[in-house]
Amino acid sequence: MLWHIVWFEIRYWLRSYMLWIFFLLIALAIFLAVGTDYVTVGFALSNTYHNAPYVIENYYAIMGLLTLLMATAFVNSAAIRDFHFNTSQIVFSTRLKKRDFLLGRFAGATLVSVIPMLGVSLGILLAKYMPWVDPERWGAVYWTAHLKSIYVFAIPNALFMAALLFAVAVLLRNEIVSFAAALFVTVGYIVGQALTQDIRHEKAAAILDPFGIRTFDMFTKYWTVGEKNSVSAGLSGLLLWNRLLWLGVALAIFAFAYWRFDFSEKRSRRAAIQPESQTAVAPGAAAIPAAGLHDSPWAKLIASLRIHMFGMLRSTFFIVIMIAALANCIPSIALGANEGYGVQTLPVTYWIVDIIRGTLYLFIVIVITYYAGILVWKDRDERMDEIVDAAPTPEWISYVSRIATLIVMVMLVQCVALLSGVIVQAWHHYHRFQFGLYADELLVRDLSLFIFLAVLAFFIHTLAPNKYVGYFAYIAYLVFAAFAWRPLNVATLMVQFPARPNVIYSDFFRDLPYRLAWNWFTLYWLFFSALLTVAAVMFWPRGKQDRWRDRRRVARGRFRRGWQFAAALSLIAFVATGSWIYYNTKILHPLPGPLDAERRQADYEKTYKRFEKQPQPRVRNVKYEIDIFPQQRNMKMRGQEVIYNPLSTPLQEVHFSLDRNYDVDVSIPGAALDKDDKRLAYRIYKFTSPLQPGENRTMQFTVTSKNRGFENELSSTDIMPNGSFFNNTVAPVIGYDPGRQLDDAVKRRKYGLKEVDLMPALERNCTEDCRDHYLLGHSDWVEVESTISTSPTQIAIAPGWLVREWQENGRRYFQYKLDHPSLNFYSFLSADYQVARENWNGIEFEVYYLKEHPWNVPRMMNSMKESFAYYTKNFGPYAHKEARIIEFPRVASFAQAFPGTMPYSERIGFIANINKPDDIDFVTYVVAHEMAHQWWAHQVVGAYMEGATFLSESLAQYSALMVMEKQYGRDMMRKFLSYEMDNYLRSRGRETMKERPLLTVEANQGYIHYRKASVVLYYLKEMIGEDAVNRALRKVIQEYAYQPPPYPTSYVLEDALREQTPPQLQYLIKDLFDDITVFSNRTLDAKAEKRNDGKYEVSIQVEAHKYKADPQGNETEIPVNDYIDIGAFAKPAPGKQYGDTLYRQRVHIAQTSSKFTFVTDKLPDKAGIDPFALLIDRVPDDNTKPVEMVSSTARRF
Amino acid sequence: MELKVTSVSKTYKNGVRALDNVSLTIPLGMYGLLGPNGAGKTTLMRTLATLQEPDGGSIHLGGIDVLKQKDEVRRCLGYLPQEFGVYPRISAEDMLSHLALLKGVTNSRERKELVAAMLRRCNLYDVRKKALTGFSGGMRQRFGIAQALIGSPRLLIVDEPTAGLDPGERNRFYNLLAEVGEQVIVILSTHIVEDVMDLCTKMAIIHEGKVLYEGDPQTAISQLSGRIWKRSIEKSELAQYEQSHQVVSNKLVGGRPFLHVFSPQSPGDGFLPTEPDLEDVFFTKIRNWN
Repeated sequence: MLWHIVWFEIRYWLRSYMLWIFFLLIALAIFLAVGTDYVTVGFALSNTYHNAPYVIENYYAIMGLLTLLMATAFVNSAAIRDFHFNTSQIVFSTRLKKRDFLLGRFAGATLVSVIPMLGVSLGILLAKYMPWVDPERWGAVYWTAHLKSIYVFAIPNALFMAALLFAVAVLLRNEIVSFAAALFVTVGYIVGQALTQDIRHEKAAAILDPFGIRTFDMFTKYWTVGEKNSVSAGLSGLLLWNRLLWLGVALAIFAFAYWRFDFSEKRSRRAAIQPESQTAVAPGAAAIPAAGLHDSPWAKLIASLRIHMFGMLRSTFFIVIMIAALANCIPSIALGANEGYGVQTLPVTYWIVDIIRGTLYLFIVIVITYYAGILVWKDRDERMDEIVDAAPTPEWISYVSRIATLIVMVMLVQCVALLSGVIVQAWHHYHRFQFGLYADELLVRDLSLFIFLAVLAFFIHTLAPNKYVGYFAYIAYLVFAAFAWRPLNVATLMVQFPARPNVIYSDFFRDLPYRLAWNWFTLYWLFFSALLTVAAVMFWPRGKQDRWRDRRRVARGRFRRGWQFAAALSLIAFVATGSWIYYNTKILHPLPGPLDAERRQADYEKTYKRFEKQPQPRVRNVKYEIDIFPQQRNMKMRGQEVIYNPLSTPLQEVHFSLDRNYDVDVSIPGAALDKDDKRLAYRIYKFTSPLQPGENRTMQFTVTSKNRGFENELSSTDIMPNGSFFNNTVAPVIGYDPGRQLDDAVKRRKYGLKEVDLMPALERNCTEDCRDHYLLGHSDWVEVESTISTSPTQIAIAPGWLVREWQENGRRYFQYKLDHPSLNFYSFLSADYQVARENWNGIEFEVYYLKEHPWNVPRMMNSMKESFAYYTKNFGPYAHKEARIIEFPRVASFAQAFPGTMPYSERIGFIANINKPDDIDFVTYVVAHEMAHQWWAHQVVGAYMEGATFLSESLAQYSALMVMEKQYGRDMMRKFLSYEMDNYLRSRGRETMKERPLLTVEANQGYIHYRKASVVLYYLKEMIGEDAVNRALRKVIQEYAYQPPPYPTSYVLEDALREQTPPQLQYLIKDLFDDITVFSNRTLDAKAEKRNDGKYEVSIQVEAHKYKADPQGNETEIPVNDYIDIGAFAKPAPGKQYGDTLYRQRVHIAQTSSKFTFVTDKLPDKAGIDPFALLIDRVPDDNTKPVEMVSSTARRF
Repeated sequence: MELKVTSVSKTYKNGVRALDNVSLTIPLGMYGLLGPNGAGKTTLMRTLATLQEPDGGSIHLGGIDVLKQKDEVRRCLGYLPQEFGVYPRISAEDMLSHLALLKGVTNSRERKELVAAMLRRCNLYDVRKKALTGFSGGMRQRFGIAQALIGSPRLLIVDEPTAGLDPGERNRFYNLLAEVGEQVIVILSTHIVEDVMDLCTKMAIIHEGKVLYEGDPQTAISQLSGRIWKRSIEKSELAQYEQSHQVVSNKLVGGRPFLHVFSPQSPGDGFLPTEPDLEDVFFTKIRNWN
């Protein structure tokens, strides 16, 4: 009997469409998440295989939470169906036993709840075979992981959810209460996650996570790529305990429900509709009042709108999907509002809008897809069509009321998200509510897209012979639109309904540079939608027409004058806007297909790579005259560039790589154009009189931008109405530029290119191979002068100090001159800036910022000065008369150091939020880093060779850490270091190439030259002292600052540091720079005893392991023989992350297990080995342990 | 005003010829459309209710061309389809009010009164707040009647209206129909002969898409007078009698088959003459015995 009930339950749901829709929805979401780059579900995919066991298990874990609401539908129905449908009397009057009934329904509902989660497997398995995916990113199918996911996550999670919901359902017997409970659990869970995010409660949070998501995170925290790709987590360790715990909880809840369940109906008086009473009014007794009849279409429209809206609002699927959507969106806003782009930021409006888009819109598209079908087919599905269709209502009312219902619903959901965004902003004390921006982005830009989608869906469903064909056709169209145009090499958006040009909002220029194109395309699709709408209304299904011929005849009958007029007008407007768009995007501008651009890159490499090593003239100095016309988004740059021959033989040719966005004109005395490859933007000039060794020539060039009208997609963000930002590379670049090659491995293979070159191997004594620094560009130290003009409201900035400023012809002119020969690598900017200026120690310190972003300007100013003070004292003099930070629009999100100037994106430092004392001060840190580049990169620059960035990026990191240390104190450095260490350890798990030691780091291995270098260099400083490190750095500066080639290699730095390292610590140099060394230190036991003098005797038992890792991350243990700190901390003050340091001592540890005893003045809270996490440690969190107090009397006995 | 159907034909996509050159003239009052299942009644009704396009022919309601001026027809139409469902999660009152509005009762006070009165008449007033989906078949049918009657239609088309009603409800419904049927055209399609007999002054019999008879029921019956014979037989004899006579109907009376046969003269065999009824007319017509 039990099995019969289980089986009945499963069959019941297998026949229901809801189960399969949920299943397909999850499969679709996962399919899109692993198969494309557009969708994120729960976590971003790293460099692991997209079907790695780790990915599979992670998705299964997350789906536990997302399917909670879906499971509610199944479990709730299983539990109270009989009360709901009044079948309880039939069912409960049989010989059915309570045990069989409850257990059977429960087991059935649990198993059914597992089914949607299996969509994860389907999505991942299918995505692997899609033609567009990169096979490199996919491993073999790993069935074990699917299986383990099911029994480690899917089934236990379903059991837990089912038990909980079953209990609520059988005890309360109310559908709404069940959903509310599920919602409550979801939201409570997410909020709970936020509250326990602190790294200190990680383990407790992992054990207590009912879905095992955090447990899995913890379990796999420092897994390497290899492990993630090949190992699946089974029931062991933390995961086992977690699963057992929640299984127990589930059983307890179910037992409780079982105990309380009663077959009787007294709890639920779900009023069954009684047959009419005998005292019903006798027929004929009441006269039917007369009522006037009016056509009034608007009243009918509003009534129809109301009835469809109520219908939708009351539908379970809509409620479930919208709650799921908002459960995905609102917590993301609440938690992510101040974590824009990975750092603590102010919850600026455009960031909130981005979160809403990323977390809500997939659901909205699903709702549109699903409900377009439901609404168009509603009357026929409910068999209400004959009644409604016979009513004197025009077809357009049916159409408009339904589509408006859908749009209003979508808009309501958007408004809920919008409101949440505003509340979260207020919560964070951010009071710049840009309601206009919210409205513009969400309710105009995005809602118009949803309207277009709805119009299309309605059109398709109107013509479809049945609902399923309609769904299929619509989804097929969406898939086609998303994936087909690129392979077909079609770039124009004019055929990609409903696509419009991308828009990026910035506080600099709002959406101004994008608006014109966007507006035209919107109009264009609006008229197209009008045509679709007219067609849909003409063919709107009414009555029982079974033949196309009849429908056409009916449509012809409906197509009367008003409609003809509307259709003709729309058609004319559509063609007119289309022509205008065509003229602008296709005739005024070249419009290469998406594949053309990469083909061009490939051809550039194939054709001209052979010239990469060909000797070229070098740049000696440059004079620029630049006119920026912000309103027209145009620019004209005239340059005089002195080039010379650095070699001992005459040069016959000079080659240039050009920027395609500009018209370029070059003239070189004694040289003639030999080849002008317009497609690949490459030119070769032949010297008619060869360039003799050491000979200078002055070439002239003019670079003109050619913006007019509007483009299909904005092709260049160099010149903007406010916030222009471009580099000197818009001018002709000498020689072949490897930076313009394709770097994506898959595309390279596709075009038959070999793997991208790594940097040349590190050499110890190199002269010839070190003639170029790693920024390349056929130049050494160049002198630069610029005259730059812009509109009168803007300030234009070029490298160097401001010689003079004047107004002429209604324009504002600035003349700049570089104070010291520098790298040929600088930028030009122009915007309506506020300027904070301070003259200190003879240097102008300036911050150029937007008036909307004043928050962190003082902090930046302060950091520049602190950095300046530390670096000039410890490294060497500063070469410029000015140091300026310049804000630029969020079209990019970096900060970069050019000589004396540091452009800094509006979306990072300027909106950083450092209000809580425990927040890591990224603003000061990043400014200190960029300031350090004024020494490391702009004075000493590494040769183009492995390890080059060790000399620049790593030293900039170290320098910044020292500035931070001066400001925040030595004890607080662990805050930065643990962040860096965590990043390093996680990133090395995602390495796709080989992990290099610091000495030979590749230029793109940021996690090594930034993250690891911070930890390692700081540790070295701890061991040999700040002075010793700085002596070494000073020596490097003295020897190499602004020196002509050959350029230094990483050996220069390593040797300088080695020189300063005492003999007993020499092993460090090898451990830190030549090898990949990893520790695993932990404290096993920490006890303290109060002494009679009021002090505490602390004894700790610790363990130390040391490993050397190979490039793939395989580790070999070696004997430990190192100097490591031990120490103890007091309890942190309320609201603080760290307590005072009570004890800190460096000890020599030469065996795995050690015991130490020391005395502290105050009560210790935590104690252990390497308490400041200075060493690279696979698990830094177990270095210290809470101290256990033992009473002295207890010990005596 | 009368409804004039002229040479209307309709063939479905699957080849079924549902209406074959049907011509009818339907005056004010109750008009019965009698035919077995699948005769084409529903197709005709839907065509009259503007829900289906015929292949040919014309239909006029007074001065209105039904096939062209659909909206004019709908303004004065009340239609109860043979089968219908309801929107989920909506109460009888709200749905009826909505339909009243679609029919043009836009004044909300009038509509409220009208809906309340109609619900009382159809005996649904006590359950007006309940979801329609929870209604029994009979209740749902009464709702269908209510929505058809609302808005004082001048053309009322009811397709198999009494299906699912108990005898009491059926009577009440007929009274209601009879009451409104005096001033408007009521077309009642049914396969139940008594319905037509009780209610209709005019009728048509259709079978396989063709009109077999049009006129008033009494005339039809009197045409058959003297040609219907009855007797009761043993069960085992049934097959034999069906072979040898034109059996119009056989019913069990007291457990024994009781036959009506058609014969211009006395068929002998113990058959006695009987007064024909409409059922005899119906069966002889659809078997094409004259």
